[in-house]
Order: sequence, then structure tokens, then C-alpha cells
Amino acid sequence: MATTRTDLGSPEELSEREQRAVEAQLFRLADDEYIQAERYTFWQVRAPTLESDLAVANNAQDELGHARLWYDAIQMFGYTEESLLWESEPDDFQHSTLVELPFSEGDWADAIVRGYLYDVAEDVRLAALEDSSYEVIRNRTSRIQGEEDYHVELARSWLERMATDEEASERVQAALDRLYPYALTLFEPVGDVEADIEELGIRTASLDEMRGEWEERITAFLTDLGFEVPTDAEPATPTGRDNQHTDHWHDLHEEMVSAYRNLGRHEATKLMDDE
Amino acid sequence: MSSEPDGPEEYDRPRADAEAAPCGYTDYETKERTAEEVPATGEGAEGLEREVWAALYEVEDPEMPVSVVDLGLIYGLELDDGKATIDMTLTYSGCPAREIILEEVEEAAAGVDGVDDAEVRLVWAPDWSLDLVTEQGKEALREFGISVER
Repeated sequence: MATTRTDLGSPEELSEREQRAVEAQLFRLADDEYIQAERYTFWQVRAPTLESDLAVANNAQDELGHARLWYDAIQMFGYTEESLLWESEPDDFQHSTLVELPFSEGDWADAIVRGYLYDVAEDVRLAALEDSSYEVIRNRTSRIQGEEDYHVELARSWLERMATDEEASERVQAALDRLYPYALTLFEPVGDVEADIEELGIRTASLDEMRGEWEERITAFLTDLGFEVPTDAEPATPTGRDNQHTDHWHDLHEEMVSAYRNLGRHEATKLMDDE
Repeated sequence: MSSEPDGPEEYDRPRADAEAAPCGYTDYETKERTAEEVPATGEGAEGLEREVWAALYEVEDPEMPVSVVDLGLIYGLELDDGKATIDMTLTYSGCPAREIILEEVEEAAAGVDGVDDAEVRLVWAPDWSLDLVTEQGKEALREFGISVER
């Protein structure tokens, strides 16, 4: 569908309705990327090879960079980094519950499957934002796409390798069964604002369309490797998008803001501050 | 649960800043540029503008001894009544040296006689790629040991 939509213009030109819809799209982008990166840190010191330590660290750095781009875009509306992150409450966040789950101890397949399910979804989502009616999203999407290709490639190559080993295959299948319902929450709505996101052309595909494309892609690849994709599963609850999260998120959030709180901070100190 | 749709149906991320509103934040991508229009290198610049470009040339990427101008990171320079506004991008969104680089560029421009104030606007379009590195920059990268051949 290549309908020409009115460009929404710069941040200060948005109507209240437009800003609300733009923010809703930006928050899920920022929160998903940020929390995915936070969780990756677990594997940075535990991956099975030095090469994978690097790969995981690199993925995490990419996602942090992307989260920064999206949070920057949110800050154009007057929010501050302090309010968005360090002085936040756990239920301020709208990331999918997939990214907040702790990794299963010692289960590398868990990390790979999660990365794969997430990164394909990310790819599908970015494609739907390429022609966004909001320039800030459009420009950043293009930049991020160039840095995401490698993530899917890495996950695919590990899955191909694991599929040749019986025990590894069992772990992959178990992780897939466990994580799939959580991955579906990536395509859950945050509320009635969803209709505006589509109507205003902020995103050019619906959540259902994106879920369909994602399912098709991962099913084709995983089935080919001999895995069974539980396509009749229902999205896990809570979804995260509804500001409700698993207890795991509350623990991670606590860790995330602890340094800021323990230091009695009231602003995020910047590198190279003048004073 | 209330009967009005302001429960989970209603979208609203709680705001810690009650007064949050679009403000004078200057990071807007205000100018649409095509891929052909970037980078800006100051070629043919004269007078004060030329001096600002010379100062920008002195700023190197923290990880390699190559000027940010030769890396093709500067997308635009405007001088208006003693104020320099520089549009620039970064090679990588996750660049950990973002603040250092931006600060150095601002300081370099502000250090030029005749410039009272300098501001860097970070922009993300058009995409940056190795193609934007100048010939001089490619030479510097080769000397540093980075292959730039495609």
C-alpha cells in the first residue's frame, strides 16, 4: 500500500492526537530495545566462546544505541532522561515481556532463540516504519536498519549449527515452546491509540499484518531446520504493552535504577560536564 | 474497574514531568538533505566560514586519527551573527564517544575569533557510509590500517 500520506512535520507541529500516537509508537521501540540490551549483559560473560561473548556484547551495544535514538526522539516532546529511565517506575514501561525474562541458566539455546524471535520481529517492524509519516521516525529507522542485519544473521547461523546436534535441538525446541507466547506480545496493542498510529501513517502495517509476516518468516526457517513452531499459542499475559509486567521486570528495574538512587541523584550526570 | 475506558484500554505512559511539552530542544532534523548533498566539507568557503572549517578539521575521531570532516560526518555549517550551527552525524548509533565528539566540535567552532557561540545538531539522515569519507580521509584511514576498498 503506497498511499501518499501527509507528513506530520516536526515535533512542535504535531496536534495532541498526533503526538499521542507518535509517542505510543516511540515508547515501545525505545523500551523494547533498551530492556533487550539490559538482559543481553547476562550472557556477555557466559557465552560459550569468546567470539560469542563479543557478538552478544556487540548486539547489546547496538540495541543500547538504538534505544538512545528512540529515547532522544521522545525527549523532543519535553521528557527528560531522568524521568524516562532513572526516576521511572516499573509500570511506566511498555516493552514486550519477551525481553524482560531472565535467561535460563546455562541454556545458550534460550539466548539464541530469544534473539532470533526478537530480531526478526524488529526487522518486520522497522520495515513498517521506513515510510512513516513522521520524519524523525523515518530517518532513525533507516539508520537502525543498517545496523540490525547482522543480528538475524548471527541467530540464524547458531540455529543452523544447533539443529545438527540432537541435544542442542531439544534445547532449541524447548526454548521455542517456552518463549513463543512471550514473543507474541511484541504484536499486542498498547490501547486504543493503535488505530491512530495506523490512520496517521506513523506505521504502515497493522500489528496483525506484522505478526503474520513474522510468523511466516520464522516458521519457514525453523520448520526447514526440523523444529516445530507452536503457531496455535496465545500471547502470554501480562503483555508488557499494557504496562503490566512479570515480577522479573520489577527485579531488573530495581537493579537498573539502583546506582542512581543509591547515589541520591536527581539528574543524569553527563560525561564532560563543564562544571 | 471503572466503566470508562481509562483502565488498561486507555493509553497513557505516566509522566514524571507534569509540565512536559515540546520545548526548545534543538535536535530536530529540520533540514531535509539528499544523499548527494552530504557531507559538507567547506570546500570553497571563505572568510570566517573558512576559519570555522579549519577549526573543525582539527577535531579527530576519538578512535582513529582522522578528522571528523574527512570522515564525512559534518552535514552542514551555518553562520549567523556570530553563532555557528553545525549539523553532524555519527558513524554508529551506539557510539560511546558521542558526548565527547559533540563537545569537541562545539568547542572547536566556538574557539574561532568572530564566533561567539556554537551549537551542534545531531542528525541521522541521510545515512552515513564509507562513501562519505573524503579522499584525504580514505588516505588517512589506510595509513591507520583500515581498509576502505570495497
